[in-house]
Amino acid sequence: MMLSVPAAGVLLLLAWIHPGDGLYFHIGETEKKCFIEEIPDETMVIGKYRTQLWDKQTSSFLPSTPGLGMHVEIKDPDTKIILSRQYGSDGRFTFTSHTPGEHQICLHSNSTKMALFAGGKLRVHLDIQVGEHTNNYPEIAAKDKLTELQLRVRQLLDQVEQIQKEQNYQRYREERFRMTSESTNQRVLWWSIAQTLILIVTGIWQMKHLKSFFEAKKLV
Amino acid sequence: MELVRVFVCVLSVFVSLLSDRLVVLAAFSQSLDSDFTFTLPPGRKECFYQTMKKEASLEIEYQVLDGAGLDVDFYISSPSGQLLFSDYRKSDGVHTIETEDGDYMFCFDNTFSSVSEKLIFFELILDNMDTEDPDDWKEYVHGSDMLDMKMEDIMDTINNVKARLGKSVQIQTVLRAFEARDRNLQESNFDRVNFWSVINLIVMVLVSAVQVYLVRSLFEDKRKMRT
Repeated sequence: MMLSVPAAGVLLLLAWIHPGDGLYFHIGETEKKCFIEEIPDETMVIGKYRTQLWDKQTSSFLPSTPGLGMHVEIKDPDTKIILSRQYGSDGRFTFTSHTPGEHQICLHSNSTKMALFAGGKLRVHLDIQVGEHTNNYPEIAAKDKLTELQLRVRQLLDQVEQIQKEQNYQRYREERFRMTSESTNQRVLWWSIAQTLILIVTGIWQMKHLKSFFEAKKLV
Repeated sequence: MELVRVFVCVLSVFVSLLSDRLVVLAAFSQSLDSDFTFTLPPGRKECFYQTMKKEASLEIEYQVLDGAGLDVDFYISSPSGQLLFSDYRKSDGVHTIETEDGDYMFCFDNTFSSVSEKLIFFELILDNMDTEDPDDWKEYVHGSDMLDMKMEDIMDTINNVKARLGKSVQIQTVLRAFEARDRNLQESNFDRVNFWSVINLIVMVLVSAVQVYLVRSLFEDKRKMRT
């Protein structure tokens, strides 16, 4: 069944933002929640969130609160800020990594009015998609005019490409890990030898010094 | 009447947005597998909630990647508040639950530690959720392939391959977490070796100097007393 184009467009737009039901957590007013994503380079990451505010009167979470936004801050592995923006109560942020490593995604609310948080809790639904999960297949199918089989094969190709990228990154990480281990081992060895030598030298020096001291004082 | 049809379409979508229940129909559902890595400050507890359907299954796997003893308390409770699993100071764990309707809560507890911050990774694998599958792209494909009967077989094979690749990705994620933990451990070892070597050197030199000084001072005082 083919949807008429404008309706399809609207659906795509809504799907774009909405994370749906799923994992959520509670965040306090001044609290900052950070998540770490370890990703290879040239990987796209899309994060979607939806907030709900606790309403004391109805003792439930209201669907959406206008005027209450979330501040999203993203740091790259060198702790340089690559995205620092304010979004509304429902938002979608996206970035592409240029260096492989641990990227940090931090969220905190921008609420300044204590009244909004009288109940003390803000519920945040969060969904973070990495790599080939970011591909919008309905859009790709529509744009490239693909048949079902072609689209399936395209999905498989994207999946395999992502796995390959991750494996390359894994190889680079393992090399760094090995270097650190070897360096630590070497340092432990050299330090033990150095320590033994220093102890021997210090002992000899002490004995020599005290002996000459006593001889000078005519005690020996 | 094309315009009216489009308008009604758009309006119905807006209506569905307003009601929580119907929202899932109009949107991408959240992906069925998700993983998160976060830092848990000392003395704090972090809880996450997952909405589940009846007769689905939830598998949660967590690991402590960094932070002093590499351990954390973990517990998971059902929507009715009943405690399902509880781990005490473990460094990793896996739990699978056959779920009911409702929100499951799982918490990581670092209150036993007053100084060390923990880096925690967890992965959620959901099965049988029967949500609006990522296959909603089927509505957007153009044209059709010929050889419908053979297509079924080809599609089955492809779906099989996709599922296996998905499993590969999951295993990769877990391996990545293990490797991250080992790497963090080694890096902290490295820092510790450096730091304590320097301290050791300073202490040794100081101690030998103090020893010599003390012994000398013992004898100097006696000399003074004699004269």
